Amino acid sequence: MAILESYEQKSLEERINKLKVALKRYQDDKEHAFEAKAIDENIRLLQVQSQLEKELEQPLVGLSLSETIHKCIILNNSSKASKLKSDFKVPDKRFWWIKLKALVEMRGWDELDKF
Amino acid sequence: MSHLGTSSSTLNVVTLRELARKELTTVLDSVRGKKCLVLDPNISGPLSLIAEFSLLRDHGVEKIHYLQQGPLETELTSLIYICRPQLQYMKYIAEHIQCHQNEQLSSPNTTRYEYSLFFVPRRTRICQKVLEESGDDLLSLELDNTFKELYLDGDYTSIYYAARALMRLQTLFGLFPRVIGKGDCAKQLADMLLRMRREVAVDDPSSTMSVSQNIDSLIIIDRSVDLITPLCTQLTYEGLIDEVFSIRASHVEVDSSIVGPAPQKPTVTAGAATSTSTATSSQPPMPPQPLAKKKKIGLNSGDKLFARLRDMNFAVVGGVLSSVAKRINDDYEAHIISSSGLCERDWNVRHQAKTVAQIREFINKLGGLQSEHQSLRTHTGIAEEIVAVTVTPEFNKALEVQQNLVAGIDINTQNEYIEEMINRQVPLVQVLRLLCLQSLVNGGLKQKNFEFFKKEILQTYGFEHLQTLSNLEKLNMFVKQVSNRNQYAYIRKSLRLIVDEVDEHNPQDVSYVYSGYAPLSVRLLQCVATKSGPSSISISNVGGGATGAVTNASGIRGNGWKGYEDVLRTIPGKTFDEVQRLEDGAIRPKRLIPGQQPHVTLIFFLGGCTYTEISAIRFLAQQDESHREFVIATTQIINGNSLLNSIIQKTDHPGVTNGLS
Repeated sequence: MAILESYEQKSLEERINKLKVALKRYQDDKEHAFEAKAIDENIRLLQVQSQLEKELEQPLVGLSLSETIHKCIILNNSSKASKLKSDFKVPDKRFWWIKLKALVEMRGWDELDKF
Repeated sequence: MSHLGTSSSTLNVVTLRELARKELTTVLDSVRGKKCLVLDPNISGPLSLIAEFSLLRDHGVEKIHYLQQGPLETELTSLIYICRPQLQYMKYIAEHIQCHQNEQLSSPNTTRYEYSLFFVPRRTRICQKVLEESGDDLLSLELDNTFKELYLDGDYTSIYYAARALMRLQTLFGLFPRVIGKGDCAKQLADMLLRMRREVAVDDPSSTMSVSQNIDSLIIIDRSVDLITPLCTQLTYEGLIDEVFSIRASHVEVDSSIVGPAPQKPTVTAGAATSTSTATSSQPPMPPQPLAKKKKIGLNSGDKLFARLRDMNFAVVGGVLSSVAKRINDDYEAHIISSSGLCERDWNVRHQAKTVAQIREFINKLGGLQSEHQSLRTHTGIAEEIVAVTVTPEFNKALEVQQNLVAGIDINTQNEYIEEMINRQVPLVQVLRLLCLQSLVNGGLKQKNFEFFKKEILQTYGFEHLQTLSNLEKLNMFVKQVSNRNQYAYIRKSLRLIVDEVDEHNPQDVSYVYSGYAPLSVRLLQCVATKSGPSSISISNVGGGATGAVTNASGIRGNGWKGYEDVLRTIPGKTFDEVQRLEDGAIRPKRLIPGQQPHVTLIFFLGGCTYTEISAIRFLAQQDESHREFVIATTQIINGNSLLNSIIQKTDHPGVTNGLS
């Protein structure tokens, strides 16, 4: 329930706090190792997004991880995209799909050529 | 065409419509004078099935508004609100009243408004229910999300509404002699129905209900018994219309360019506030249409062409349309020739009278041809749009994966394909349809794959879908494999779910509706409701039930589930078979006259059924030499998308976009 509540929070801080409550609950439970890991990832993503928002001056909080990577590439910031990929262990295959899609949108034909 | 749809159908569902109309007019008459009806937009569809605008007008309704945000401006002072008790509607109404009060404060001479508010029972709709307009073999309660409510939320209110609707049918048609079914919630419904009937007997001992002379049994199938079928792509014409456009209360909305211009008829809706609708059907209270380009089309057996096409496999539809087109063309030409012939003979006074009669006949027939022509145009347009979808590689690839899954053909490429779908960011519901299907037919996914897909979904579609995944796990639709025993494989073999040779043009078995897969739910019905059971063609080693079956006078297998116990045990949910007797213990109050045996079997789908299942049941009725009729009742019509969308966590939080492009 805390997870659902977290999405109703308007401030990022509140949202993260709610997620931390949920995380605590799941951490004590071996059955829910996957969930705990996912919530932990979610918290990390929100933190990275708020940091990137400041740097790139673009709204990012609330996007999914793939959407965030996509946005970084669109904004000509491939290094940030690559960092997200390694930090969150995004499989190569998905990463290339995201990149391909973004490059087509940007008409970055030179980059596409290098594929 | 379904012969169930004839007016001679033993079950006269018109009676139900009459009851609903009566309730509605009582509500309208409770407020005197001219009044303005303010409707919950979700109710207007079902409402239009029971009442035309002229009925509303006869009871003093001058205008119809939709209940929505913002001020309500009307010169009428009596307002009747009909809506579901939902918070947002209460807010709108409060807003209206507040607004009117402010008006009065600023100009005290304005007349006072009178408000009446009627709730439509929770979220059931206005009548109990809604009937397909002229199908007469289908009753739907038009509830939403019942499967999710029953199995995820543990909210059993829909069982209560279903029981009440069934009680009403029993009041009209007599007690169902037998109540058979499968599924935990189905069992609860049966129990509630038996209890309600006992309560009626206690409350009013004089109201002795007799046993039905028309209906031999009620079969209740619970959606949880068969989740595989709705996840498969429907391949009948009506089913595909639902998959591509979504059918709501027997209506579909399509771009008006698809179906071409329609002959404009002056409609009675002209006086209604919402008469912007461009629909040709005689539906009165139409929801306001946000885009003028959209057109609402009624899908019912009143349209002869649609009645012929609806249950066919889509592969056959094109051929039928072109032969109908050819026939109409020939008819037109024949008319032109005969009419020119008429003109030449016109001078002949002796033939004058005859000629005029011929002209009238010709003109009358031309009118028929024109409406047929319009229907042809509509369905050709719709079929073209469907083809545009069915020729895409995405559609075919997903279909191939589905068909391999249900047939138990293990190809390793399907996971690769699902991964690619996620990477292409197709709507989540499409991904989940395949993943859930895979989980259901294999008793779960291997741990590695299970966690891989969960992670891919969360990172691609958003972490809030942790809730979606946990919902699906709770419903046993997407789980980790715990044992190697595959129960679906056993069910598939025992009930012959896969039929290799399917002739869509001349179907021999219900499996034609999915081009080779027979819906599990319908196979279960065949176990109890047809003489030969599910193995009518090639008798395999099905528990002996098929051959040993004893049919009683009424035609229903006297054995109930007998012979199928083993396979039923592997399907989740309770199995039951109850006989309803009169108080004195007699099953039938009077002897049946030969030839007047009950021959209607009522089938109730709790938690929803698909158009394809309805088509399959209509097909069964046509095959049965004993001229058995099936009447299908359901909480609502569903498809894989609507089923899963009720379970998918909605994201409605600030700072979120819906996908990349």
